[in-house]
Amino acid sequence: MNDLVAWASLAPLLALVGSLINAFFGRSLKEPAPGIIASVAVGLGFVLSLLAFFGIAGTGEAVRVGLWDFLRAGDLELSLGFHLDQLSVLMMLIITGVGFLIHVYSIGYMHGDDGYSRYFAQMNLFVASMLVLVMADSFVFMFVGWEGVGVCSFLLIGFWYKDLANASAGRKAFIVNRVGDFGFLVAMFLTFKVFGTLDIQTVNAMAPTMLYGSAALTGIGLLYLLAATGKSAQLPLQVWLPDAMAGPTPVSALIHAATMVTAGVYLIARTSAVYAVAPGALATVAWVGVLTALIAAIAAVGQTDIKRVLAYSTISQVGFMIAAVGAGAYWAGIFHVFTHAFFKGLLFLAAGSVMHALGGEQDMRKMGGLGKRMKITGTTALIATLAIAGVPFLSSFFSKDAILAATFTSGTLADAGGGVLYALLLITAGITALYMFRWYYLVFAGPERLDRGASQRVHESPGVMTVPLVVLAIGSVLAGYVGLPAFLTDNRIMNWLSHSTTTGEFTHLGVATEWLMLLGAVVVAFIGLGVGYWVYVVGKGALVKRLDNTPIAGASRGAFGFDALYKAVFVDTGSGAAEAVTLLDREVVDRGFVGLGGVAPLLGGLIRRWQSGNVRAYAFAMLLGAAGLTLVAALVGVLK
Amino acid sequence: MVPTEYYVGLSAILFALGSVGVLTRRSAIMLFLSVELMLNAANLAMVAFARGWAASGSKTALDGQTAVFIVLAIAAAEVAVGLGILVAIFRNRVSTNVDELAEVRG
Amino acid sequence: MVGFIILAVILVAGGVGVVLLRQPVHAALSLVATLLALAVTYVTLQAHFLAAIQVIVYAGAILVLFLFVIMLLNVGGETSVDRVTWLKPAAWIAGGITVAGVVAIAFLSRTPLPEAAVVNAALGGGNADRIGEVLFSDYLLAFQLVGVLLMTGVVAAVSLVQRAAPETRPQRGPAARGAPHEPFLGVRHPEEHAGDVAHGSH
Repeated sequence: MNDLVAWASLAPLLALVGSLINAFFGRSLKEPAPGIIASVAVGLGFVLSLLAFFGIAGTGEAVRVGLWDFLRAGDLELSLGFHLDQLSVLMMLIITGVGFLIHVYSIGYMHGDDGYSRYFAQMNLFVASMLVLVMADSFVFMFVGWEGVGVCSFLLIGFWYKDLANASAGRKAFIVNRVGDFGFLVAMFLTFKVFGTLDIQTVNAMAPTMLYGSAALTGIGLLYLLAATGKSAQLPLQVWLPDAMAGPTPVSALIHAATMVTAGVYLIARTSAVYAVAPGALATVAWVGVLTALIAAIAAVGQTDIKRVLAYSTISQVGFMIAAVGAGAYWAGIFHVFTHAFFKGLLFLAAGSVMHALGGEQDMRKMGGLGKRMKITGTTALIATLAIAGVPFLSSFFSKDAILAATFTSGTLADAGGGVLYALLLITAGITALYMFRWYYLVFAGPERLDRGASQRVHESPGVMTVPLVVLAIGSVLAGYVGLPAFLTDNRIMNWLSHSTTTGEFTHLGVATEWLMLLGAVVVAFIGLGVGYWVYVVGKGALVKRLDNTPIAGASRGAFGFDALYKAVFVDTGSGAAEAVTLLDREVVDRGFVGLGGVAPLLGGLIRRWQSGNVRAYAFAMLLGAAGLTLVAALVGVLK
Repeated sequence: MVPTEYYVGLSAILFALGSVGVLTRRSAIMLFLSVELMLNAANLAMVAFARGWAASGSKTALDGQTAVFIVLAIAAAEVAVGLGILVAIFRNRVSTNVDELAEVRG
Repeated sequence: MVGFIILAVILVAGGVGVVLLRQPVHAALSLVATLLALAVTYVTLQAHFLAAIQVIVYAGAILVLFLFVIMLLNVGGETSVDRVTWLKPAAWIAGGITVAGVVAIAFLSRTPLPEAAVVNAALGGGNADRIGEVLFSDYLLAFQLVGVLLMTGVVAAVSLVQRAAPETRPQRGPAARGAPHEPFLGVRHPEEHAGDVAHGSH
C-alpha cells in the first residue's frame, strides 16, 4: 500500500517532463499536440493522486518519500523529500483534477495563439511547482515550490508580453509576491533558530512543547502569515490579483482561483501545530482574513470588468478561508479551498467562454442576455453563482457555514472579538450573494447590450471548452457533501483532515443554536440575492445610477485606494530615487571618468617635448644623472 | 709624492671638460674627440688609484694598470667603429651637424 | 709637486682647447698635447709601460685616425647656429657640479699613501713584464675577449665603409648600372641615394 502511495511522487515529475517537452519541442509540434501532451501529463498526475488517496484512505498513515540530501552544514541538515498525508493528497487531487479540466479547456481556448506550446509548457511547470509545494516535507522544499509557482504566475500573467500592460501586471504580481517571500524566508530562519530543524513534521511535533504564546513563536506565525498574504492576495498584499487578470482566462482559473492563491491557506494549515501555540498570531490571521473578505466584497460590487469582479471575489473567498484557519478550524479552511476550486474555476472558465464568444470583450456593460444564446455556459454559470452565494444544498453552503460556525465558536478568537468577526463574515456573505447576482445578471440575463458585430458572432463554445464547464458544475453541486455539519452527521472531511492538522478549541453549541446559525446563513444569502434582484430586475438599475457618485461607490470602484497608495509610497519614491541615481551616475561619475581620461593626453603632451631626437639633449640628461649621483654620494659621505 | 686625491680631482676636471665638450660641440667629430678626453680622464684616475693600492700587494696594485690597458684597447676599437659609422652617415651630407640626426624623435 | 702642477696645467689647457677651439684640426692637436702630457703623468705614477702604450696607441694611432677622418670629411669649423641654446650654460653647470661632487668625495675619503719603496716593490715601475704577469694569468679571459673585440671592430669598420664591388651589384638593366647600393647598416636615405649614381665626391 505504501508503495502505491509513493508512486504519487512521480506526479510532479510527469508535469515537469511535459513542461520540458513543450518547452523544447513544442514549436515544432502542430496544434493541439502540445495541449494534449500537457493535459495527459496532468491527467496521469490525477490518476496517481487518486491512487495515493485510496492508499492513504486504506492505511490512515502518512507516507514519506525521501528524495535526496540537499545540504549538510554544521547543525543544519536539509534533506528534500515528499510527505504524503491526508492534507497533501487532498490538495494534490484538487490541483491535478481541476488542473486537468482547465488544461483540456485551454486546448480550445488558446487555439490559434502564437505561444500555444509556450503556454502549455508554463502551465505544466506551474502544476509541477504547486505539487512540490503541497508535497514537500521541509520548509525549504516547500519554498522551492513556492517560488516556482510565483515564477509561473509571473510568466503566465504576462503571457501576452508584447503588450506592456500585461508585462507590468506580471511584474507587479511578482514584486508584491516577493514581499511575502521575504516573510517566508525570515520565518524559515526563525524556525530554524527556535526549533533547530526545517522538517515540517518535526516542527509540528515539537510545537506543543514550546513556550505557549512566546514572542518567537508569534513572530514565526506572523511571518508565515505575511508569506500567505503575499501568495493568497490578502491585506495588505492583495493589490496584484485584480491586475493579474491580464493573463489568459484559464490561467486566472487555475492559478488565481483554484490553486496558487490557496497556497497561503495550505501553509497555515500545514503549520497548524505552531499556530496552536501562538494565539496572538492566530487571532491576527483571522482578522486579516475577515477584513480582506469584507473589503474585497465591497470592491467587487463596483467593478465593470467581468474578470475583475471574479478577482475581487477570489480575494474575498480566500479571506474566508484565512479566517477559518485563523479561528483554529484548519479543516474548514481546506474544505472551502476544495469547494471554491470548483465553483470559482467554473466561474472563470465561463467568463472565458463568454469572452471567447464575444471576441475578447470584457466590459460587462456591453454584455447581457447571453444565457439564451449560450445555453451550456449560462446554465453552468448560474449553478456556480448560486453555489458561491451560499444557496442551500450547493457546495459552498456547507463550507461557508462551517467557517461561520467556526468563527463564532472558536476558543482562540473568543478573546479577540470572535463575535464581531462572525458578524462581519455574515455581512460579507450577504454582499457576496449581491455582487454575484449582479455579475450573473449583467452578463447572462437582462436586456442585451452587445455591440452589433459581437451580437452576430455570439455562439456557444466548442465541446472541448464546455465539457469541463459541466464537470465543474457537477462538482460545484456535490463537493459540499463531504463536509456535512458535524452536529448532523459524520463530517467526512473534518475526520479526514484531523490526522494531519491540529484542531483548535471550540465551544460546543446546542443543536438548536446550530440550526439557528444554519438558518441565519441561508437568510443572509437570500437577502443578498433578493437585494440584487430588486435593484437590477425590478428597479432596472436606477438605484445604481443614483448612487454612482457617492463616496462608497468610488471606494468600491477603486478598491479602497490601495493601488494608489502603494504607487505613491513605493513606486514613485523608488523611481524617483532611481532617477536621482541615474543622474548622479551620468553627470558625476561618467563625466569624472571621461575627464580622468583627458589627463593622459595632457601629461603626454608635456612629456613629449623631452623626446626631441636631439642627441645632445639626451647626452645632457645622462650627464645630469651622473652629476646627481656624485652629489648624492658626496653628501652621504659628508653626513657620515 | 702627490696624494691620490689630487689626481682624482684632476681627472674629474678633465672628465667634466670632456662632457661639456660632448654637449656643446655640434660637429660629430668634435664630439668624438671630447669622448676620448673623457676616457683618458678615467684612465688617469685608475692609474692614480693603482699606485694608492700598492700597500695591498703587487697584484692588487697592478690591477688598476691592467684595467687601463684594457680600456685603452677598447677605446681604440670604439674609435675605429665610431669613426666608421660617422663616415657612413656623413659621407653624403654637407655638414656634420649632430642636431640634424634627430630621427629618433618622439 | 711642481711637476704635478705643470702637468696639470698642460692637461687642463689641452682639455679646454678641445672644448673651445673652432677648427677641428686645432682641437685634435690640442688633444694630442693632452695625451702626451698624460703619458708623462703616467710615468710619474710608476706606470711606464702604460705611458709608452698611451703614446703609441692614442697619440700615434687614434689621433691620426681622427685627423684622417677630418680630412676625409672635409670638416670645417662650426658654422651653423646653435638651436639648443640652453644647453651650453646647462652643460657647464652640470660639469661643475660633477667636479664638485667627485672632488668632495675624493677629499673626504682620503687614505694615506704608502711609502715609495713599497710602491716600487708593488708596481715595479709598471713594467711590461709585471703587467704581463697579471694580464696573462688572472685576466687571461679579459685579454682574449679584448682580442675578439678588436677583431670585431676591424670587421665592423671595414664593412661600414665598404661599398659593394661593381660585379656583385644586382643588375637591373642599363639604367641599373650605377644604381644605389644597399646601405650596410639599414640607414636608408633613399632620397639622397637617388642622385648618387657614380659621383666621386667622397
